[in-house]
Amino acid sequence: MSSAFTEIGRALPRKEDRRLVTGRGRYLDDLAVPGALHVSFVRSPHAHARILGIDSAEASEMPGVVGIFTGRDLDQLTTRLRIAPPIEGLQPTELTTLPIEKVRFHGDPVACVVATDRYLAEDAAECVTVEYDQLPAVTSIAQALAPDAVLVDETLSSNMVSHQSLCVGDPAARRAEAHRVIEARFALHRHTHVPLETRGCLADWDDGRAHLNMHIGNQVPHPLRSQLAKRLGLSESQVTVISPDVGGAFGQKIALYREELTVAALSRHLRRPLRWREDRMENLMAAAHAREYECRTRTSVSETGRILGLELELDEDFGSYCFFPANYMARVIALIMTGPYRIQDYAYEVRVALTNKCGAGPMRAPMAVTSWVMEGTIDAIARELGLDPIEVRRINALGPEDLPYKMPTGELLEDVTPRETLETAVAAIDVAAFRERQAQALCEGRYLGLGLCTVIESTTYGSEFYKSAGIPGSGHEAAWVRIEPSGAVNASVGLMGTGQGYESPLAQAVAEGLGVRSEDVTVHMGNTDVAPYGMGSRGGRGATAGGGTLYLCGLKARERVLVIAASMLDLNGAGELRMRAGQIERMIDDNWQETGLTLADVARRAYLDPLALPEGIAPGLDFSHSYDPPAMTYSNSTHACEVEVDPRTGAISIDRYLVAEDCGTVLNPIVVRGQQQGAIAMGLSGALLEQVVYDGSGQNLSATLADYLVASPNELPEFEILHHHTPNRRTPAGIKGMAEGGVMGAIGVIANAVSDALAPRGVTIERLPLTPQSIRALLREAAPSPKKRTQP
Amino acid sequence: MNASTHEPLTLSLSVNGETHDLQVPARKLLSDVLREDLGLTGTHVGCEHGVCGACTVLIDGRPARACLTFAAQMEGHEVTTIEAVGRPDALSALQQALHEEHGLQCGFCTAGIVMTFEHYLRENPTPTASEVRDVLSGNLCRCTGYQNIVAAVLKAAARMRGESV
Amino acid sequence: MKPAPFLYHRPANLADALSLLRAHGSAAKPLAGGQSLGPMLNMRLARPGHLVDLNDLIELDSVRVTDSFVEIGALTRHHRLAIASEVRRSLPLLSAAAATIGHYAIRQRGTIGGSLAHADPAAQLPLIAVTLGASLVIAGPEGTREVAASDFLQSIMTVDLRDGELITALRFPLPVGGLWAFEYFSRRHGDFALVSVALSFARDEEGKIDALRIGLGGVETVPLRLPEIEARMQGRPADETTIRDLAAAVAATIAPEDSEQVPAVYRRELAETLVVRAFQSALNREEGA
Repeated sequence: MSSAFTEIGRALPRKEDRRLVTGRGRYLDDLAVPGALHVSFVRSPHAHARILGIDSAEASEMPGVVGIFTGRDLDQLTTRLRIAPPIEGLQPTELTTLPIEKVRFHGDPVACVVATDRYLAEDAAECVTVEYDQLPAVTSIAQALAPDAVLVDETLSSNMVSHQSLCVGDPAARRAEAHRVIEARFALHRHTHVPLETRGCLADWDDGRAHLNMHIGNQVPHPLRSQLAKRLGLSESQVTVISPDVGGAFGQKIALYREELTVAALSRHLRRPLRWREDRMENLMAAAHAREYECRTRTSVSETGRILGLELELDEDFGSYCFFPANYMARVIALIMTGPYRIQDYAYEVRVALTNKCGAGPMRAPMAVTSWVMEGTIDAIARELGLDPIEVRRINALGPEDLPYKMPTGELLEDVTPRETLETAVAAIDVAAFRERQAQALCEGRYLGLGLCTVIESTTYGSEFYKSAGIPGSGHEAAWVRIEPSGAVNASVGLMGTGQGYESPLAQAVAEGLGVRSEDVTVHMGNTDVAPYGMGSRGGRGATAGGGTLYLCGLKARERVLVIAASMLDLNGAGELRMRAGQIERMIDDNWQETGLTLADVARRAYLDPLALPEGIAPGLDFSHSYDPPAMTYSNSTHACEVEVDPRTGAISIDRYLVAEDCGTVLNPIVVRGQQQGAIAMGLSGALLEQVVYDGSGQNLSATLADYLVASPNELPEFEILHHHTPNRRTPAGIKGMAEGGVMGAIGVIANAVSDALAPRGVTIERLPLTPQSIRALLREAAPSPKKRTQP
Repeated sequence: MNASTHEPLTLSLSVNGETHDLQVPARKLLSDVLREDLGLTGTHVGCEHGVCGACTVLIDGRPARACLTFAAQMEGHEVTTIEAVGRPDALSALQQALHEEHGLQCGFCTAGIVMTFEHYLRENPTPTASEVRDVLSGNLCRCTGYQNIVAAVLKAAARMRGESV
Repeated sequence: MKPAPFLYHRPANLADALSLLRAHGSAAKPLAGGQSLGPMLNMRLARPGHLVDLNDLIELDSVRVTDSFVEIGALTRHHRLAIASEVRRSLPLLSAAAATIGHYAIRQRGTIGGSLAHADPAAQLPLIAVTLGASLVIAGPEGTREVAASDFLQSIMTVDLRDGELITALRFPLPVGGLWAFEYFSRRHGDFALVSVALSFARDEEGKIDALRIGLGGVETVPLRLPEIEARMQGRPADETTIRDLAAAVAATIAPEDSEQVPAVYRRELAETLVVRAFQSALNREEGA
C-alpha cells in the first residue's frame, strides 16, 4: 500500500462500537414516537390462490383496531410498481401494493391490520377471514418453464420472465476442434438474508406540513425516497427517509417492499404515525430470497487442460414478484463468468423463471454462484483429463502479461492478480504435504479434501455499467465536507451502512483528503435531508464510490483551506503548504515545518472574518463533490480449504481455511478483515446449512430459525487471510472495494474441497447445500470404498 | 398472583437495581416490557422463538431469553440488562475487548453476547476457545463469522484474571 | 409473533398449583422453564386460557440421592443437571446429556419436568429417562402416582398426563452400570439431534457385558429402549464383533420416521454409526479412567 497515505490504511477501531456494545445504539424499534399505531399483516397460507373475498368485519370490531386495509384500498392510495426497462428478452411486469386478484406465494400479504398495539393487531389479524380458490402451484424451474405451465403472473406470456443469450467468438468451432468437451452441472439452492434485525419501518406523516418522515433501516436512502415519493404521488420534497442504526441487511434492505409502502400510505391516510416490525417468520418466509440457480457448463479443452471455449446455461428461480428487473442478478453472473481465466470464445443462455415462491432479490454477492461454476468447471477439466487442478488453473489464469484483459463480454480487467493470489494460497497450504496426509488418511478410511477457488469479484458498478445493462440509474456517489467555524469537520455521503462499520473508514477517506486526523471527522449518513443524493450501499461500492467521493471532496476542501492559509501567512500561493492533522505546514529547506496555523484558524477566518479572505474566495468552508466510478472495478482472491468428510454420517468438518485477497488500497484493515471473515462465514453457512425449503405444494417449511439454519460458531473455522494490495489505477486512492468475494469463494471452495475428498468414491458435488444426508445419499449410490474400511 | 380477568396486571419489577411499578398485560413478553415500558432498548428482539439469543438478559444473575419470559414472571426476581453493564465511556472488560478485536459489526446481537458471558466468565474464568464457542453457539451473529468474538471473550477473560493482554 | 391472551397464575406451592390445574382442567397449561412452551405460545401454536407458572415451586428444584434411586425434582434446570457434582457422580449419563441441550442460556431455564412433558422425540432428557428406566412421579387430584418414562411418553408431544396432573419428580433407579456414553448427531451445535444414542452397561470380572441399557432418540415418535437387544448382549465380550453386532441389531430393529428432509435410511445409518461410537466412547472412557 502506498506509504504516502497517513490516514487511509490506519487500523482505527470503529467509532460506532462504543454505543453498540453498551446497548446505546438506536435501531428502528428504539425510536419512541408517542401514539404510534402498530401494524400486522394477514398473509396467505397458500402458494397460489384466487382471492374470492376478504371479511374483516369481525376483526374490525376487536379491541384496539383502528382499521383493516386490503389490496383494493391500497390501490387507491398508491401507484403500482411497473418494471419495464427496455431490455431485450425481459417481459415488463406490474404489481399492486397488496395483491387484489390472487396470491402468488405462501406468505403473500393480503391485508394490513392497524391497531394501537402489536399484540392487539395480531389478535385481529387472526380473525380476518380470507376466502381463497386454490390454484396449482409452480414450485420449480422445470415446472415453470413447462409448455403447459400455470402462469404465476397472468399478464405475462409465459413464466420465463427474462431470457437472454450471447455468443462471442466461435464456441461451436472450438468444440469441434477440442481434445475433449467437458460438461458440468451446478445447482445452488434458495437462500435468504437473515439480518438479525428484520425489516421494519416507522412512517410518520406530518399532516400540517404534508410531509412524510420515513424511518427505515435501509441501504439506499435516496433511491428509496424517490420510490416512496413516486408510489405515494408525493414530491421528493415531501419525503424524508431516515435510516437509524441497522442490524444487518445483506441486500434485503434495498427495495421498497410492499409492506413498507403500505405502512407509509396508511400513515398518510390515517394521519397517524404507524410502525411495523416484521417478525422472524415473516422475514424468513416473505421478505426476500436469493440465489436459486441451475447451471450447466460445456467446456472445450486442449490436452493440457487449456480452455478453448466455454458455453454456459443458467436458469434462475426468481420467485413470484419482481422488485428488480428479473435479469438483474443473472446477467452479472453470465457477464463475469470467465473471471480469472483467459477465455475468448464464450456463449451463454440465461433464463429466469417466475414460480410461486417468495420473490428473489440481491443477497450479499448476488453473483455468488459464479465462482463455484467456473472453479467447479476447472476441477471437472482436471478430473476428466487426469490433470492436477492447480496446473489447470495455472495454464488458464490471467497473469500480469495478459493485463489489461478484455473478457469476452467486454468487461475490462486491470490491476487484478489472480495468478498471484493462486500461488500465494497454494504456497500457504503446502499442497504436497496435504496430498501426503490425504493419501495416508484414505488408507485409514478417512476422506480429506482440498479445494481451491479463485474469485474475480465485481465490486463497484459505475453509471456506464447501468447504461450498458439497459437499467436506468446511476453508479455515482455524492458527498459533502464542511469545516465548521470551530474547525470541526463534518461530512456526509449517500451511502448507508447496515453494520459494515463505515464511520471510521469513511472518516479516514475524508481525513486523508483534507489533512486532518480521522478521529476529528464525523460522517453523517442515512438522513436524506442531510446527506447528498447518492446511490447508497450495495455490492462492494462503499469504499470505492463512497470513500472515493469523500476523499476527492476532502482534497477539494484542502485546496481551499490552503489558499486561505497561504494568504494568512502572506504567501503568494499555497504551493509550498500542506495540512497534516489539522496543522498547516510549510516546506522550508526540503523539510515540512509547522507554521503554527491550524485548521481552526483558517475556519475562523472563513466564517468570522470573511472580509479578510483573499479576493474571489467566498465565505465559509462548505464543499460538495460527486464522482462516477469506472464502469466496473474488480477485486480478486483465491480461497483454499481443507475438509474432512465423515463417510459414515456425511458430516463435513473444515480443518483449515485461508484466503489470499487483493482488494487494492484498504481504507481500514480492521474493517476490511471483518468484512472478509463475515463474507466467508455467510458463504459457508449457506453452502453447508442454510436452505429455504418449499414442499411440492409451495408451503414454506423453513420459516423459523430452528429450520433455516444459520451457522453457529461451532460450524465455522478460523479464517487465515493473506493480503495483496494492488491499487486500481482508475479510482481515487487506488481503492477497489470488497466484501462480497468471500461469499463467492466460500461456496466454490467448500464444494470443490468436498468433491476432492470424495473423489476416491467417484462422487462429485453438483448440488448444494452439502447436508450430511445429501452426502450420505451420494455415498450410498457411489462406488464402494477403495481401501479397507475401518471402524467409524 | 392469581388473575381472573384479562385486565393488565400491576407489577413491581426490579430491573438493574431499580424498582418499577407497571401495569402490563399478562401475555406481554419481558423483552417488550423492557423496551417499551421501561425504555431499555439495548435488549434486542431477533426471533421471538428463543433461537437467536439477541434478547438475552440476566435473571437473578443467570442468562435467559427475554422473549421466552413474561414480565409477569419477574416479580420477585432481579433482571439485569445491557444498560447496567458498562457505559460508552466506561466499557466492561468484554465490551472493551469486543471493540479492540472487532467482535461486532451491526451490533444487533452484541448485547445478548455480552449478557451471556457476563455470567459465564464468572462461572468459568479460564475458558478454552472451544468452551467459548460452545457457549457462544446460543447467540447467532450474521456479520462477523464469530472468530473475533471468540478472540474478544478470551482476551476479556484473561484481563479479568489480571493478566495483561 | 406475540402470544394470544391468557390468564396468568403464579401459585406459591404445589397444593395451590394442583388446585389451579384442577380448576381449569384442559384450559390450563403449566409453565416451567418456558424454553419449549415459550416459542409455541409466541407462534400461537399453543393458546391456553390459563397459564400456571410453576417457577415459585422451588421445592421441586431438587436432587436427592439415596441408595436405590436418584430423585430429581421436576423444576430442576438442565444446567444444574450438567454441573452439579451429585448428579455427575450418580448419573453421569444424565449429566453429560443435559450439558448438550440447546444452549447455555436455554439450559439455565429449561427444566427436566418440562422436557418430559413436552416430549420432543429428539430431546435428551426423555431419552435418558427411558434408557435408565426412570419413572415419573405425578401429582394430581387423586393423589400421587408413579409411571415409567417409557409408558409416560406416548407419541410426539403426547404423554400420559391427565388434566389437573403435574410431574413433580423423576426417579432414576440405582445402581447403573459404570460404563456409559451419550452420542448425538445434529446439523448444528445445540440443535435437536437427528439421532441420539444413550447407553449404559457394566463389565463383569471377565470383562463381559452386563446390564446393558441402550436407548435411541430421534428415530421414532418416542425415545426407544431396546430390551431384547440388551438381553442378547448380556455376557458377551466387549469387543469389535459385539459392537458391530449390536449396531447392526439396532439398525435392523428400529423403524425411523421418513421425510424428504431426513430419509429413514439416513436415520438408520446414523443410528448404527452412533451406537458403535457410543460403545467405543464408553470403553475409551473406561481406559482413560
